[in-house]
Amino acid sequence: MLNFLIPTLAFLFQQAPEGRLAQTWEAATHPDLAKFLVIGALLFIIGVAGVLTRRNIIVIFMSIELILNAANLNFIAFSRYLQDTGSVNAVAGQIFAVFVIVVAAAEAAIGLGIVIALYRNKETIWVDEIDLLKW
Amino acid sequence: MYKYIWLVPLLPLIGAAINGLLGRKLRFSEPVIGGIAVGSVALAFLISVAAVYSYGFGGHPQWPNPYLTSQDGFSFTWIPGGAVSINQGSEARRDAQLEKQIEERMASMTPEERAQAGPQIYAKVESPRYALLNIEWSYQLDPLSAVFMLIVTGVGLCIFIFATGYMHGETGFYRFFAYMGLFMFAMLVLVMGSNFLMMFVGWEGVGLCSYLLIGYYFDRQEAANASRKAFITNRVGDFGFALAIFGIIATFGSAQYTDVFNEAKSYPVELLGHWGILSWIALGLFIGACGKSAQLPLHVWLPDAMAGPTPVSALIHAATMVTAGLYMVTRTNVIFQHSQTMLLVVALVGMGTAIFAAIIGITQNDIKKVLAYSTVSQLGFMFMAAGVGAFAISIFHVMTHAFFKALMFLGAGSVIHGMHHEQDMRRMGGLKKYMPYTYWTFFAGWLAICGIIPFSGFWSKDEILWNAASTTYIPLGWLVWLVGTIAATCTAFYMTRLMAMTFWGKERFLEHRAGGEADEAHAAAYDEGHAPHDAVEPAAGDRPRHQPGEHVGPVDHHVHMPHESPRSMWVPLVVLAVLATIGGFVGIGPAFKPVTGTDHPGDRLNIVTWLNPIIWNPLTREFNVPHDGEHGAEAAHGAPAATEAAHGTFIKAPYTDTGFNLAHAVDNVLHNHLLTEWTFIIISLIVASIGIGLGFLFYVKSPHLPDIWAQRLRPLYNASYNKFWVDEFYGWAITRRVMDAARGVFAFDSRLVDGIVNGVATVSRGLSLVVGAVDKYFVDGIVNAIAAFVKRLMSPLLRAAQTGFTQNYALVMVLGLMIAVVLFFARDIATMLRQMFPSIIWP
Repeated sequence: MLNFLIPTLAFLFQQAPEGRLAQTWEAATHPDLAKFLVIGALLFIIGVAGVLTRRNIIVIFMSIELILNAANLNFIAFSRYLQDTGSVNAVAGQIFAVFVIVVAAAEAAIGLGIVIALYRNKETIWVDEIDLLKW
Repeated sequence: MYKYIWLVPLLPLIGAAINGLLGRKLRFSEPVIGGIAVGSVALAFLISVAAVYSYGFGGHPQWPNPYLTSQDGFSFTWIPGGAVSINQGSEARRDAQLEKQIEERMASMTPEERAQAGPQIYAKVESPRYALLNIEWSYQLDPLSAVFMLIVTGVGLCIFIFATGYMHGETGFYRFFAYMGLFMFAMLVLVMGSNFLMMFVGWEGVGLCSYLLIGYYFDRQEAANASRKAFITNRVGDFGFALAIFGIIATFGSAQYTDVFNEAKSYPVELLGHWGILSWIALGLFIGACGKSAQLPLHVWLPDAMAGPTPVSALIHAATMVTAGLYMVTRTNVIFQHSQTMLLVVALVGMGTAIFAAIIGITQNDIKKVLAYSTVSQLGFMFMAAGVGAFAISIFHVMTHAFFKALMFLGAGSVIHGMHHEQDMRRMGGLKKYMPYTYWTFFAGWLAICGIIPFSGFWSKDEILWNAASTTYIPLGWLVWLVGTIAATCTAFYMTRLMAMTFWGKERFLEHRAGGEADEAHAAAYDEGHAPHDAVEPAAGDRPRHQPGEHVGPVDHHVHMPHESPRSMWVPLVVLAVLATIGGFVGIGPAFKPVTGTDHPGDRLNIVTWLNPIIWNPLTREFNVPHDGEHGAEAAHGAPAATEAAHGTFIKAPYTDTGFNLAHAVDNVLHNHLLTEWTFIIISLIVASIGIGLGFLFYVKSPHLPDIWAQRLRPLYNASYNKFWVDEFYGWAITRRVMDAARGVFAFDSRLVDGIVNGVATVSRGLSLVVGAVDKYFVDGIVNAIAAFVKRLMSPLLRAAQTGFTQNYALVMVLGLMIAVVLFFARDIATMLRQMFPSIIWP
């Protein structure tokens, strides 16, 4: 067990190169792609878990937003990474993120509209009670 | 033009195909169907005329060799036969080669050497053992097929035109003309084929069409029975024909006429009583001819065949198909002339048939039956001619007979049409007034068949009788002549009787109302069960017939006045009457030399000269030897061993002394050859006059005489009226036996074989019950138990998985996706983990 834990802790708490300021500056100018991806992946997993487990349809919407934002984060991260590694004009990822935000807004509007329509008819927003199409 | 003869059989076939396949579907009207049928035959006739003209009279170098369409590329391999073992006739072939070599050797010697070396010559003989049989489909044009092409298409055209009138209003109009066209095709293949196999195909084809057309009124029992009878009787003959073809192939290794005859011509002649291979082949061929041409043992089908429509009787059962036997015998005259035995058999069978059928013809009352027996009798005359060696004359009689008998059948059809489907002559009489065209054309046919000079029948019949009297081919020529002369008398008598009963005398249809359409109406009612059947016996024709004057039930039958037939029917009659009158001039015989200047006037227009190229001359052993003076064989009569002919080869007289010869005996008394021939002509004219005179006496002058004489000659009359009980005899001797045998076999089959089968079935049924029980209770039990176990075990699990919540399913999807990712990147993940945790010892 210790055999496994020690390298993991060493990876997470590895020593910073220099002082705190330099370290921050360094992180700001050369963002570590892997960290962003880890954050994105965590966001995605949380979103998926929310979609799969929650019964409140509003919460499911919010979880979907999390999934979308995880994707957005990845777009931005890769965009920055590519700009940093040479191609200064690699802005497609950022533009894409804007698109995703727009589409997510539209989708949320429609989805919430449907939810309101549902609520008016069924008086519930619990997904396990919305079973009109079951058979 | 003769290059297009392949069109001649094809055109009627196309016409028949159009009528038969589309006639019903497209509902062709009668003029369309008739136009297609008549048009195709007329075209075929025109092509035939042009072909024959360009072949024989156009000065073409092809004459007199047969023209085969394969010379111009129209032929295809029909039966690629492969290797054939030649295992028959080796003796005859050896003798032929030996003879030829000896002749060659002798010819090269001086007379002195020849006198010494006679018995010492010996030669080497090789016999082929295998041949490559390749049967092609190609047509042959030679003098014989030319004559038949013209008869078939020409007379056929007249009959087709007649039929468009006669068959007017029949429901099966298209079917009738389809069959007729098919018949024309088969008949033309028969006479135009270039090998025996094609002849056989045509032979069977005409047999099939005959069957179909006799049974044209297939809803009538009589017609259906007659068609089957014709077909089955013909099978007997066809069996002999097929055997003969096998014999020919096994002897000559080929079925092509030219090959076979060229080889056969050098074979030694088989004298009386010697049964060599050629005699056996000739016997088989003659059995075939007997079946098709209704000769004595197998004649029974032809009179019954009159159940078909009358144009069919005229075309198939008088003019063309029944003469196919003559065509075949004449085509193979080389083989027949090589066998004196078979010549004698042919002559005697022909003779017997001629007198036999003529006697029956005297007492028949159905107009078509009289003509049918007359046809059988005339076919007997033709075979008589072939049997005494006068093959060209037999074809001459085929031709004249085709003219006058087609004419008389069509005339009879016209009478039947005019009398409203009446066929019984006892209910006719006095029709001369009502049907002038029919009467006068029939009159010409009557004179022709009676043999009155100068009508066509005279020339051919007289030649036949003269050849019979003067033959040197076979013994007993005098007997053949005597019986033939008596048969000719009978012919004249019964034809006069037919004329008298039909056209002259009292109008008996006014007295005897039963019959005709009345019979038809009554019979129809009987068929439908409305009226009782009180006819005495089902007689000739189609339905139950009634005796004249017989009461046939409550229906009042009106008198139907006879009427002349429409123009489409009497125009062919006129054409045929002209042919029956002048048709004999193509065969004026040597007796008229003082008038015409030559033996056979008309050069190639004379039928004897025309047919010469295909007739084998036993004296010179070659084809196409001109007949100068007397018949070729007569010069050889009595000649001993070897004589030297004009062209220097050695030939043997083929036939030995044939005993008493009537013509020679008369010649010895009169010492004048011409006078001798005229004696026989005058005799035949006298007997014809006697026959006609007797007919007048019996049926015009004193009509009470027939009954008196019938009473006096009661046994003979009964025998003749009942057709010598041949049908009854066959029924007793063959049909009943076959039926008994069939019943026996059926009993065997139904008792023993079926018993075994049924027993086996019962046993297996019992077994299957047991097996079924085992299956049901044991095997199914196991299966069901397993199924139940599985069901109990698995169903809660599977039921639990089906929650109905979308999120659960999505969870499964995500899990599956994760597993897929892990599996897909398993190697990468493993590598990553190794690098991340190098200190761990990985498996």
